[in-house]
Amino acid sequence: MTHWLEAFVHWSAGFGLNYNFLVDAYQRGTLQQGALTTLLLCLLTIVGSLLAGVGLAAMLTSGKPWLAGPARVFVEVTRNTPTLVQLYCAFLVLNMLLTQAVGAANPLTPFAWVVIVISLHKGAFHAEALRAGIEAVPTVTMEAASSLAFNNRQLLWSVQLPLALRFALPALINNLIDLVKMTAVASAIAVGDITYAAIMIWTQSDNVLELMILILGFFGLLSFTVNCVGRWLEARLRMPGYGH
Amino acid sequence: MAIDSSVVLPRAWPRRHIGKLLLGMGALCGLVYFAQHSPVLKALLQWSPALAAGFGQNILISLLAIGSGSVAGLLVGAMVLSPLRLLRWPARLWVQVFRNAPWLVLIYFTTYVFPFEIRIGSTYVAFPDWVKVTLGLALPASANVAEIFRGAIASIPSTQWEAARSLAFSRGQIFRSIILPQCFKRMLPPWMNLYAVITMGTALASLVGVHDVIDTAQIASNTVNQTGFTVVIYLSLLVLFFAYCYPISRFTQYLERRYAFY
Repeated sequence: MTHWLEAFVHWSAGFGLNYNFLVDAYQRGTLQQGALTTLLLCLLTIVGSLLAGVGLAAMLTSGKPWLAGPARVFVEVTRNTPTLVQLYCAFLVLNMLLTQAVGAANPLTPFAWVVIVISLHKGAFHAEALRAGIEAVPTVTMEAASSLAFNNRQLLWSVQLPLALRFALPALINNLIDLVKMTAVASAIAVGDITYAAIMIWTQSDNVLELMILILGFFGLLSFTVNCVGRWLEARLRMPGYGH
Repeated sequence: MAIDSSVVLPRAWPRRHIGKLLLGMGALCGLVYFAQHSPVLKALLQWSPALAAGFGQNILISLLAIGSGSVAGLLVGAMVLSPLRLLRWPARLWVQVFRNAPWLVLIYFTTYVFPFEIRIGSTYVAFPDWVKVTLGLALPASANVAEIFRGAIASIPSTQWEAARSLAFSRGQIFRSIILPQCFKRMLPPWMNLYAVITMGTALASLVGVHDVIDTAQIASNTVNQTGFTVVIYLSLLVLFFAYCYPISRFTQYLERRYAFY
């Protein structure tokens, strides 16, 4: 492993790129820790955002004004304000109020706040995609199912959502790729993700370009993985007669 | 003599909004009235010119970024459509790289990789941070505009190409007089959407030390150092961005409905 790394450092030095930090055990460890944090962040927010999205979509399409109204307001506010401002509102305002209320026993770390904020933010986008998918389910299908004595919850879970998921899948995958890229804002509140680790390294060794190439490659790999999983899911869930 | 049209267009500004507008103005007047009695609102009123100046910086960055991004994006988009492989491949690479990179990473990239001043001849020209952030936002903007352009061209039915070619139009003529005039209409809604997203992206400028609205809010919150004021100033950031982006998004939706003819 180290042998390969040294060969790579030598090879890149030929282009004038200084990748010496990869040989340094401490700096490499920071970067690996950052990459793992970003991965964990992505996995947790993907699950969280999908749950939030399904919840919000169910509220939006419930047909009850007292449920759909607040959900609509939440979605519009989330879609029309920057993620960073939402993160600050949560971390600097809500967290401050929480700390003042319970003191040092505040259970929420910066990492937890990032997971919550990004989950809710992307959840709003998922909800819009799912709502469009739910509205695309033909009414005759719903009527047929309700004539078979499905109740409202069964209709949603066994008929409407499985179909809506297939309609909304391309948009959802798009949102998830966006989500992977969005996790970089975690560095704004000092969560040690890969961007933060890179900032720590380049303030010491002044090798911004090299680290940028590394980070861009890392995020490219992550979004490529999400894209591949999405395509596999699309092919897996494809039903004859729907989509192409 | 007026000619009655059978097509009734939806009103751009339906009457029902006037009540909401009056309500909002009433709330604002109430806020200004009560501001004289509450220390928190008084401080907010005191800081509001600074906030407005900061938000002006955000808007300036967003306008310059979408402007330069659109010019570059149309160029890249034209290259993507080029029949020459030598032009097509670099353009495709450009679009793929800058669409898939996190915006924050691109902003860090332009901020730290570019020098802080440029030497032209014997004079040094300063290269301030906000210009670098503008460039950092213009890069993904150009990639997205290129995709919007490509999508608009692809959405024109191929039968129009064939019909035009059978009328002896050349490739350039088809583009100029048949395809492009239709594309601008189709590009407008996604382009405005992109503008709203870029405006929200300017919030990231504060992370590299540009004195924008968020930086101002942080300074204000640290200076006044009151719990109530911190809550109010961050909420007012949300309100500011919402007030700027929501009308754009509503207008985009209206245009989408208006142009939904295909």
